[in-house]
Amino acid sequence: MVDHLRKQYGNLVAVSDVSFSISRGEIFGIIGPNGAGKTTAVECISGLRTPDSGSISVDGFSPQKERDRIRQFVGVQLQESQLPPRLRVGEAVRLFASFYPNPQDTDKLLESLGLEKMKNSSFKKLSGGQKQRLSIALALVGNPKVAILDELTTGLDPEARRDTWELIEGMRDRGVTVILVTHYMDEAERLCDRLALIDHGLVRALDTPEAIAAMAGGNRVRFIPSKPVDDRTLYAIEGVDQVERKERYVTVYGTGDLAASVINSLAKIGVSASEIEARTGNLDDAFVKLTRDDGSGDPGATPG
Amino acid sequence: MTSSPVRPEETKRRGRFSELLKVQGKLALREPNGVLGIGIPFALLVVFALIGSYEPGNTGNTSYTVLDLYIPIVMVIGFLFIGLGLPSTLVRDREIGWLRRVSTTPVHPSRLLAAQLVINLIFALITVVVVIFGGDVIFGAALDVNVLFFVLSIVLSIGVIFSLGLVLVAVAPSQAAANALGGVTVFGLMFLSGLWTPPELVGGPLATIIYYSPSGAAVSALLDSAFNQVPPYTTLVTLVVYTVVFAFIAIRYFRWE
Repeated sequence: MVDHLRKQYGNLVAVSDVSFSISRGEIFGIIGPNGAGKTTAVECISGLRTPDSGSISVDGFSPQKERDRIRQFVGVQLQESQLPPRLRVGEAVRLFASFYPNPQDTDKLLESLGLEKMKNSSFKKLSGGQKQRLSIALALVGNPKVAILDELTTGLDPEARRDTWELIEGMRDRGVTVILVTHYMDEAERLCDRLALIDHGLVRALDTPEAIAAMAGGNRVRFIPSKPVDDRTLYAIEGVDQVERKERYVTVYGTGDLAASVINSLAKIGVSASEIEARTGNLDDAFVKLTRDDGSGDPGATPG
Repeated sequence: MTSSPVRPEETKRRGRFSELLKVQGKLALREPNGVLGIGIPFALLVVFALIGSYEPGNTGNTSYTVLDLYIPIVMVIGFLFIGLGLPSTLVRDREIGWLRRVSTTPVHPSRLLAAQLVINLIFALITVVVVIFGGDVIFGAALDVNVLFFVLSIVLSIGVIFSLGLVLVAVAPSQAAANALGGVTVFGLMFLSGLWTPPELVGGPLATIIYYSPSGAAVSALLDSAFNQVPPYTTLVTLVVYTVVFAFIAIRYFRWE
């Protein structure tokens, strides 16, 4: 759906050089610290902003030059966008449905979002979670091929977040391409097929959540060797960066499939390992590592 | 199949606008401004009809009764409440990101603005009907309307006040600011409309200021044309100039976000 979404746009602005392409039907996450340029990037994709340079193509159309076409099939949920306080849920959804050539059945949509009982409630009477779900309803009612969701679960309680996640997974099942902006790593890890980690307006990593998590080298294996093993032997094992000892326990840190390479290497020298406990590095570790690593980016990036 | 006279895209566009009108109409009825714009003139009309019944005959050395004099004033006050209440809603819609949200759909937010203007125009026309009907039929003012100039005067009065409302929309950064600016402007223009000092009864520089003020000129054009006179062309030109200047400023400084 979004083929070859690419853009580089220079200058000291929020996004300095960002390129990626998103395939049809995937959930693509854009993560990064506050002010990294995430929102600016997706606002360029939805046509709300015009990049200074670089090019964007959404299903073959330019969001800036062919904005009318883009608006037909891209549904947008904006960060911090509200509805008129006295507008009712049913009215809002029907109004947005009337904007599109081929809208969804509004009653069914509200039901699938658990809003059918709130149809006659004013926007101002809704809870935070209900407002977010209504916002998703408005982004989906036009049957979009692409949905852009910005900071969707910010301010939601854990249960509402989980419900929202299920909704987004349901969108993927319906073949909608989802671009999800978030600063929650658990959300990105759970939902996204692929991620772009943006910091200081640059793409720091672009891969599956698992691959990005592994990049941080946060993998760890703890075990008890059957015979003492010296540090030199351990450091010689592929992927091992660091070794720690505590009583009989040996802990090695490193990257890659650490547990397998440690066990194999030790087996070769006749040492077996017991009480093995392996922990894979998670996205949080990777996030911290990748965004802290390199301070060379523009520190004056505007909040996005 | 025979070809339909209206292209599907065209029908769709009309469909969208009528849905927008419907929703904006409902929202307007839930907000106080439009209803105030019809209710307040009627209440004032009742007050001045009562005063008029205690002071029958012509006021001062004019050829008008108290009620006659106040019919155009309460009409303009209705326009003020409607046209200058408009910024509050529109600025809020911009402030909370609603206009921006709409701009991500196939419908440009200018359609939303247009729908809002149409609804407020309808309110203004209801005010005209209420005041004319109330003044003429219920309280018995002897209106003798010069239809051509009366319609022109109404169009110009609404034009001047609505375009001033749009100036406030353009310059006010927040709903609170729009409310404050709107309140001050309504009060000032209410004074200049002659609510407390009908222009026919004051002299000196104040009369001149009122004569060349947006609401004073509107009242005077409406009064003349309601009693079968042609308003002086200076009055009509005053209204046109204000409308053009206000519209220019509003368009020049308008922001969707």
